[in-house]
Amino acid sequence: MAQEYEAFVRDRQRAVSGREVVLTLRDLTPGRHKYRGIAVRAVISETPLAGEPLLWLRSVVGARDTEPCSVRIVEELPPIFDAPPYSDYFTVLEALEKD
Amino acid sequence: MAHKDLREFTEALAASRDLVTIDDEVDWDQELAGIGRLSCERDGPAFMFNNVKDYAGWRVLANPVTGWRRYAVALGLPADTPIRELYRIYAEREQNPIPPILVNDSACKEVIIPRDEIDLFDLPVPMVHDGDGGRYLGTWDLVVSKDRDSGWVNWGMYRFMIHDERHMTGYPRPTSHLGKMLLDGYAPKGEVMPIAIAIGTDQPSHLSSTATFRIGGDEVELAGGLGESPVELIKCETSDLYVPASAEIVVEAEIYPDKIAQEGPYGEYPGYRSGEMGNSVCARVTAITHRRDPIFTIDTTGFMDSSAVTTSISGAIAIRRRLERHGVPVSEVYIPPESGVHMAIVSVSRGGPEVARQVVEVLTARRALMSKIIVVDDDVDVFNQSAVIHAFSTKCHPDRGTHIHRYEGRANALTPAYSQEERLGKLGASVAFDATWPPDWPAETTPVRATLDSMYSQDVQDRVNARWRKLGL
Repeated sequence: MAQEYEAFVRDRQRAVSGREVVLTLRDLTPGRHKYRGIAVRAVISETPLAGEPLLWLRSVVGARDTEPCSVRIVEELPPIFDAPPYSDYFTVLEALEKD
Repeated sequence: MAHKDLREFTEALAASRDLVTIDDEVDWDQELAGIGRLSCERDGPAFMFNNVKDYAGWRVLANPVTGWRRYAVALGLPADTPIRELYRIYAEREQNPIPPILVNDSACKEVIIPRDEIDLFDLPVPMVHDGDGGRYLGTWDLVVSKDRDSGWVNWGMYRFMIHDERHMTGYPRPTSHLGKMLLDGYAPKGEVMPIAIAIGTDQPSHLSSTATFRIGGDEVELAGGLGESPVELIKCETSDLYVPASAEIVVEAEIYPDKIAQEGPYGEYPGYRSGEMGNSVCARVTAITHRRDPIFTIDTTGFMDSSAVTTSISGAIAIRRRLERHGVPVSEVYIPPESGVHMAIVSVSRGGPEVARQVVEVLTARRALMSKIIVVDDDVDVFNQSAVIHAFSTKCHPDRGTHIHRYEGRANALTPAYSQEERLGKLGASVAFDATWPPDWPAETTPVRATLDSMYSQDVQDRVNARWRKLGL
């Protein structure tokens, strides 16, 4: 597991609500594989918790929060999601959360 | 005749002093693209990076065709060829397509990486901007696809991002030729759609892939015409697609009919990162082939990137032809590079509100990329921005001269002015600013422009110009 990730979210409040959410994390570990994406079910803590990797949240235009959260990965999911091309990505993620 | 491959082209750029080579180590993570970005904003040169951090043995060329000088060299012309002349030569060559030649061997097959050994992170794909959704492999690329039913082959320049070792996501717009092929052909049948992303080909092939070209048009033959020489094509390893044999790198892939992943956001050609992320396509890579000493190419997308000139020419010529087909009395069309492909200036031999309305309706009928169109009389030089601003500011009536046309489902999701809701629904509008004199105004009361060429006799003009030259001005 990496020590630092970033993720893009459309609904920030939903992401940091404390419930399990589905999202794509980008691995920020320096080196050739930096920015590799993994799909996960995870819980985000707005106040970073000891022992959890840091998570920088970004908006849909890439604006980064000034302070990091932390993330607990509950489950790593298959790397890509079942949905027709051009489906709304965030709606697909929310549907997986309801499951 | 244009240069046969990227290497001959870079030699020509070096000869015209339009290429700077950097041997010091540069970080692929933002620094490399940052240098290219600054160069775009300062009308600087292309950069060849010979020493990319983490990627020994690879070179990266940033912004092969950004600015008019490199565009001219890409066509095999002197770097100082005037813009109007570039427009004329492009239009002429576009009318003389040349069929391709098939070959069996090419340097782009020197290294073949099979499906089970693929790792996209082995390619020196830069992080272009801080805050992008990922590393964009396709920025100055050529994406080959084939219509499932008709067999028509499309070349397009579409953005593709690395998701993980074997998956990419991309954003060819749903209204793009590739998007239509996928949505109308492969996806309804539940079939994967083969594509091939060629990087670092001969420049006419890249110019052809960026061209605003009709559905069913043969972009391969267009590339031959633009370069005045047939393009050599070679078959892919894992599909029946053909790519330019001159390519430095080829990424073969299949777009899923039923999978997606995160794509974007990305700092795009209008000069902004607009938050268009959220609806894209996803592909798995099936093979990578490349030269032994490959050169990766990127466009540091944003204000005054390559599209500023490539679409300025091909888009303007396509607009002129479309308006002609619809009976608009068009004289010339120019797309100012600074507009981020959002503004067109159209000169007409006869203006007025009906013509302005017709122009905006014709130009937004299928895809609505131009959101501002300035219509001027043909005594205004569309390439002279001072003259255009003067006409727009003084002749466009603030009320009667503004013609807004609204539409749904075909707006440009990359237009920064649109809200997130408009972006999702492809809702938008285009406006024609009529900066022509109303045709029903009598000549005896129509204002006369107070310029040397309009308000002085020919004899006085000649004497003034002669004296100007004599003064060495």
